[in-house]
Amino acid sequence: MKASAFDYARPASVREALELLGRHGDAAKLIAGGQSLVPALNLRLLAPEILIDLGGLADLRGITVEGATVRIGAMTRHADLLGSPVIAEKLPLVAAAMPHIAHPAIRNRGTIGGNLAHADPASELPAVMQAIDAVIVVRDASGERRIAARDFFTGIYETALRDGEMIVAVEAPVAAKDERIFFHEFSRRSGDYAIVGLAARATGSGNALADLRLAYFSVGDKATLAERAAAVLGAGPVDATRLAAAQAALAEDLSPQDDQQASGSTRLHLSRVVLARAIAVLTGDASLAGRATA
Amino acid sequence: MLDVPSEALTFDLNGERVSLHVDPAARLTQVVRDVAGLTGTKVGCDAGDCGACTVLVDGAPVCGCLMLAGQVEGRSVTTIEGLERECDTAARLKESFARHGAAQCGICTPGMMVSAAALLEEVEHPTEQQVLDAIGGVLCRCTGYRKIVAAVMDAGRTRSADGAVAEPLDAEGPVGRRFERLDGARKIDGTELFGADAWPADTLLLRAVRSPHHRARFSFGDLDAFVAANPGIERVFTAADVPGENRFGVIPPLADQPVFAVGETRFRGEAVAAVVGRPSAIAALDLKSFPVVWEELPAHVTLDQALAEDAHRVHEGRAGNILVRGHVERGDADGALAGAAVTAEGEFETGFVEHAYIEPEAGFAQRVGDRIEISACTQSPYMDRDDTAKILGIAPEAVRIIPTAVGGGFGSKLDLSVQPFIAVAAWHLNKPVRMVYSRPESIATTTKRHPARIRAKVGADASGRLVGMAFDGDFNTGAYSSWGPTVANRVPVHASGPYFMPNYRARTRAVHTNLVPAGAFRGFGVPQASVAQEQLYDELADKLGMDRLEFRILNALTDDLPTVTGQVLGEGVGFRKCLEALRPHWKRARSEAEAFNAKASGALRRGVGVAGMWYGCGNTSLANPSTIRAGLKPDGRIALHQGAVDIGQGSNTVIPQIFAEALGAPLSVLDVLSADTDITPDCGKTSASRQTFVTGKAAELAGRAMRAQILRLANAGEDARISFKGGKVAVEENGRSRTVNPAALAVDALGYVLSVEETFDPPTTPLDSKGQGSPYAVYGFGAHMAELEVDVELGTVKVLKITAAHDLGRAINPMLVEGQIEGGVAQGLGLALMEEFIPGRGENLHDYLIPSAGDMPPVESIIIEDPSPVGPFGAKGIGEQALIPTAPAILNAIHDAVGVRIRRVPATPDRVRAAILAGTR
Repeated sequence: MKASAFDYARPASVREALELLGRHGDAAKLIAGGQSLVPALNLRLLAPEILIDLGGLADLRGITVEGATVRIGAMTRHADLLGSPVIAEKLPLVAAAMPHIAHPAIRNRGTIGGNLAHADPASELPAVMQAIDAVIVVRDASGERRIAARDFFTGIYETALRDGEMIVAVEAPVAAKDERIFFHEFSRRSGDYAIVGLAARATGSGNALADLRLAYFSVGDKATLAERAAAVLGAGPVDATRLAAAQAALAEDLSPQDDQQASGSTRLHLSRVVLARAIAVLTGDASLAGRATA
Repeated sequence: MLDVPSEALTFDLNGERVSLHVDPAARLTQVVRDVAGLTGTKVGCDAGDCGACTVLVDGAPVCGCLMLAGQVEGRSVTTIEGLERECDTAARLKESFARHGAAQCGICTPGMMVSAAALLEEVEHPTEQQVLDAIGGVLCRCTGYRKIVAAVMDAGRTRSADGAVAEPLDAEGPVGRRFERLDGARKIDGTELFGADAWPADTLLLRAVRSPHHRARFSFGDLDAFVAANPGIERVFTAADVPGENRFGVIPPLADQPVFAVGETRFRGEAVAAVVGRPSAIAALDLKSFPVVWEELPAHVTLDQALAEDAHRVHEGRAGNILVRGHVERGDADGALAGAAVTAEGEFETGFVEHAYIEPEAGFAQRVGDRIEISACTQSPYMDRDDTAKILGIAPEAVRIIPTAVGGGFGSKLDLSVQPFIAVAAWHLNKPVRMVYSRPESIATTTKRHPARIRAKVGADASGRLVGMAFDGDFNTGAYSSWGPTVANRVPVHASGPYFMPNYRARTRAVHTNLVPAGAFRGFGVPQASVAQEQLYDELADKLGMDRLEFRILNALTDDLPTVTGQVLGEGVGFRKCLEALRPHWKRARSEAEAFNAKASGALRRGVGVAGMWYGCGNTSLANPSTIRAGLKPDGRIALHQGAVDIGQGSNTVIPQIFAEALGAPLSVLDVLSADTDITPDCGKTSASRQTFVTGKAAELAGRAMRAQILRLANAGEDARISFKGGKVAVEENGRSRTVNPAALAVDALGYVLSVEETFDPPTTPLDSKGQGSPYAVYGFGAHMAELEVDVELGTVKVLKITAAHDLGRAINPMLVEGQIEGGVAQGLGLALMEEFIPGRGENLHDYLIPSAGDMPPVESIIIEDPSPVGPFGAKGIGEQALIPTAPAILNAIHDAVGVRIRRVPATPDRVRAAILAGTR
């Protein structure tokens, strides 16, 4: 089967890309790395009239540090992030997540902007962006707008992007000196999509967790910050009781789905298990792991 | 293939600048395969799930199916064909793949090679983890990955756990040696041609119109108007266009599957019509516009629906939706169980399992005068020939089947897939017609492993000896018969396992539903039965307080004990030796697991499990002959007509090894002609673990016959030594040498100066009304031990190691044997932990999970050679044997680790955790 016939444009500048997008509206689809879009085209789940290839927009590629902010161009590939010493140093949670994203062949094409715009609820980066409190920088013909990652993802494959807008960059605060991170995902097959994943970070020391952010993915229709659980854990030194209360609170924070790979109840359970493991790592108190409620 | 735009796309392809007029929105795989003609890059899914299409773009691996032509403008693309030129490490890698036996069917090999070369360019001496990461996105269904990992590490001058490599080809005494596959080089360099890789110029493309419902009535609109409205479409075919019988099936008396459904479809994905036309027109066609109206009808999607008293009949004449029943009975099972000191019983369930070979079905047909020629992937050329002849209403001899290389089969390519469609279309149009299944089409419509629902009870006396077993199994055979009868008949013969079971009753039913036909899949139902039987034996051992391995050793079938069909094999029953070979591993693993668990404070618990297996080689109580032909050519070389289709298992290598050994010559004198119904005599189907045994025996007989003819010509005795050199045949005896000059001898009709043709059909007897008799001449035996880790919080299972002991009589080529074992283990692991196909859901390789490289544990193969008195040089089969005990060994190890029985596979985290919570200890 061939993807249905469509026009193909390769603009040389963001301005030109936005012009094309403005002109064609819903009939157009932006293509970055294409690692989610092309399968959908191949299976004819999508049939745009025109594809606007962002591959020529060199100014959307690259990682820069400006003061306390790391800026990642939308067309920066997963492989670039994985190999970047800047990311390893300044955004360690991003670095920790990268090896879990698909396989080398996909990472060599897939981009951060494409990934975030696709908003796959099983994808790692939408959660990581929320955990590190990133801002998604989007642009349309009239100018730029900055959207907090926590407000960007609105549903399954749905984002706060408006018609005529595209992601141009992601900005995130450089990790604090005392930043502690945790990233883990459970999958049914090695290297595969997670059935539950958690990207977490906090500052502070010992059992006192400040600025704790727990971003779950593959649980529910979008990557989600577990705010109630984080609030419980942030209210005082973490002990087994507090952890159990936070695990209970996940039932309010998350809306796990049933699918072929796992039931919703299993997902909620796994979310609690991974929370305990995260807290054990973040606090350095190994005894807190393995405290999953049934 | 593609619409041609005005602007050319310019990029470097394998080091050369090319300018091609292609649609920038075409996939890169289409550009390199269809436009540039480089078919070494394979297409397995078109969705980035399988990695077979991996190519390098600017030196980095990418999925060719996920990149658009426009995106490679100005870049450098390297395919398998240019790998050696572009990567310094590629030559070393090729050589290493060959020496390690890292390619089996070869369909994933280009993707593996490209991914591995990219790694070695970056990392000179990679670790095993780096190799696993690098090939993690490339799926392989044959090898179990271990030999691939070993080959990459060896090429990187490091060592994996698995070390042994092949010997040079010119060695004398070919049987028992680790030879490289004779067809290995072309699999590794990407020149092997699979079903989708070659077609004549101006070939038309065909797509099938298929039912979206499990069961539906349908009617067509105006087909002529549809053709008229779509330029480039030549014709639509329906049932009315089938010249002969609109019916096929692998078991002719039960043939029931139409080429095109008439009036009503019986399963989701059943074809009702085919559209044929110019490739670009067909590729662009949206089949939603095809004029057909569906009326969905109530469907049986479960066994219980089909077995309900008032259930509609899927086929008229098959009362109760029962296709066939199987039955084996010996002694008094109920009486023995009533008197047993201990019993164990349970109900077990397995689901549909998809073969998931990386090559979707593909091929082309062309009419040649009043004959039709079909070049497609298949496991059974002569069966294809006979069924196609019936469909076209012509003589079998008027059909020529030329199997392409087969990118994995595992049973499903025994049945017709593309063949009827392309044959009917090519016959009418008198033009070549081609069809390539999409991955969703392949998964939705080709046969699956039968879902089973099994109730079984076993009993033993106080001394631990088995006294009786009662077994009832229902097998969901789907909408058409396929191999349902074979499963229903084979399971009762095997459900005891290879143990002495004096009282026994096993009954099976193959039940029709409105789901995809279930057919042959490596083991024909025996893997499902072993999931039940081997778990129950563990329960018996536990109740008796016996060691689970020693319980099996005590009850193991021996040469002089009768099987459940009353057959006394007399010799070659090496099962006990397999179990005894596991004993030191068992003790080591048990004590390691015990020590681990004693110290464990976290969520991980280790367990060890064992399971036994047996499997009869060849058809059950039915003739299944193979014929091998060979000829001495005037140039002094030997032509071997080897008709056993090599689907990756290695018959292209093993059959010549056997022939050469019997002839007394090195492999290098053979010119092997592979399967083609015009050239090679019938070697039967590649299934039932029969090719090494049955075709191998025919090859042994043919080799001996050729030897006898040469010796007669040289007037030499049996012990003379034959050598081939410089176009002459030298025969040495007692220090004297005579030379035969083939060029000086008269040739026969085939162009040979000496010709032989030998047939072997394994001796079996029919089963009587109680299933008593000798259904197989030879059984293969084996036992696996699984060591694993369960995370009790998550319900996840990680297999740490499989130790696999197999009695295969004689290992003709130990390297290929290991390949079969490792590949079987991978599929058994999938059956145990991952795989379940739900019709209508997950018809792709990201929802349907097969093990990837990182899921595969190391496998230690232990080869036991208890020779069969019948097989060639004592050999028995190994293809299916290798898969059967893995799943029950894993399930028994899960029980050992956490004390719960998983009676429904796959043992997903959901199910394992639910069992732990339920505390079914």
